Amino acid sequence: MQTRIPLLVCLISGVIMFAQYFSSLPIAKSIYENILEWWQIIFAFTLFVGVAAFIKTNLKSISQKKETPYRTISLIGLFLMPILALIGGTKIDSPFLWAFENMQAPMQATVFSLLAFFVASASYRGFRARSISASILLVTALIVLIGRVPIAELISESFPKIGFWIQNYPSMSARRAILIGIGLGSMTTALRVILGIERTYLRGN
Amino acid sequence: MFLIVVVSYILSIPFDTQPSPEVQKAFDYIENLPESSVILFSFDHEASSLPEIKPITLALLRHAFRSKAKVVGLSLFAEGTAIGYRMMTKAADEFGLKYGRDYVFLGFKPQHISAILGIGESITRVFPEDYLGNKTDTIPIMRGINNYDDIDMVITIADGDRPAQWIEYGGARYNQQIMAGLTAAMITSYDPYLASGQLYAVVGGLKGAAEYENLYGKRGGGNRGMLAQTSAHFYVIALIIIGNIIYFRGRKQQGRG
Repeated sequence: MQTRIPLLVCLISGVIMFAQYFSSLPIAKSIYENILEWWQIIFAFTLFVGVAAFIKTNLKSISQKKETPYRTISLIGLFLMPILALIGGTKIDSPFLWAFENMQAPMQATVFSLLAFFVASASYRGFRARSISASILLVTALIVLIGRVPIAELISESFPKIGFWIQNYPSMSARRAILIGIGLGSMTTALRVILGIERTYLRGN
Repeated sequence: MFLIVVVSYILSIPFDTQPSPEVQKAFDYIENLPESSVILFSFDHEASSLPEIKPITLALLRHAFRSKAKVVGLSLFAEGTAIGYRMMTKAADEFGLKYGRDYVFLGFKPQHISAILGIGESITRVFPEDYLGNKTDTIPIMRGINNYDDIDMVITIADGDRPAQWIEYGGARYNQQIMAGLTAAMITSYDPYLASGQLYAVVGGLKGAAEYENLYGKRGGGNRGMLAQTSAHFYVIALIIIGNIIYFRGRKQQGRG
């Protein structure tokens, strides 16, 4: 029973969603709109689950005296932003927007910008012509890197053109193949889930 | 790397960039829009990509406002909400436009796929209130905007996979035209959609922003960042070349030994 009910819910939902796509009946439209609303409500509740899990994990680490300062800052941030939004709203010049623009955005941009240093380090250490395939990758990367900056046109008009060709033919062919593979895989997985063959979402039963 | 980027930003030498076909297509579309056409801007990005996203967004928003388009903003990524609202207000203020009459910001909606599909049925049902708490159906600009039938173009400003969902759900199911402003790292991911016509046009990375700014006629963050990006690219190229020289010298010496 523990397995059968979720499987039945999944089967009915899947079949309804599939059927309504091809139906022009008003009831199909009504069901579809209601499902979309339910979907958003359920998702909103999963945000609460995420917040609860975040608080629990951080409190556990604090009680075990692991990374206490960082965990405390995380929890302060978690409570501070909603409090600021509740007190002063989220309009222009509100404390919430000030904290977002002057604290969260710069901190995130800083962490993201660290990628540039990793790229620089990796390009020095890892990008080496050890074999023919590595050499092809190296030359391709150099052409695309040069082709993506405005000065490339001053060096040679061929750079942007070759970069464009690499992007639009060999690279795109590979991406198309991957996308088609993903599409077929998604359809197969969806069918397996609807028909109850794929049950890993039920604690692996 | 840090020094190179900082010095390049301080020097700020202007570059003349030739517009790529995709940027030209995006510009031409907005330039030739009839007055009061509706453009939906979706701010689907994190705060971390703001330095790259901001010039693209401002260039597109300014152009949309200059073309007298009605602009509806929303966000399908929580962090894009405050940023989107701020940038819309900033661009609109430059033209003396009024909130609610010329533009509106509907705020954030969780579960992006259901939101994209829901807009196809009824935008006021998905967003009963705007970001400021006004009832959506009482906002003047929203009169006559019910679903994708009333929206000429969706422009998704993104640093991830949201444009793919706009294409797959908004485009495939409701035949909605989609344009994207993307970070440079994401451009190649959307090339297949661009080539197939599922994505109308792309303004990608700082270079795309600089190209758009030049077409629009007002240089901004995109052009300011061009020298820094060019310098960083050449620094990486130099590191690759030096790394390979050292590698081959090492191999040569090992061969002799």
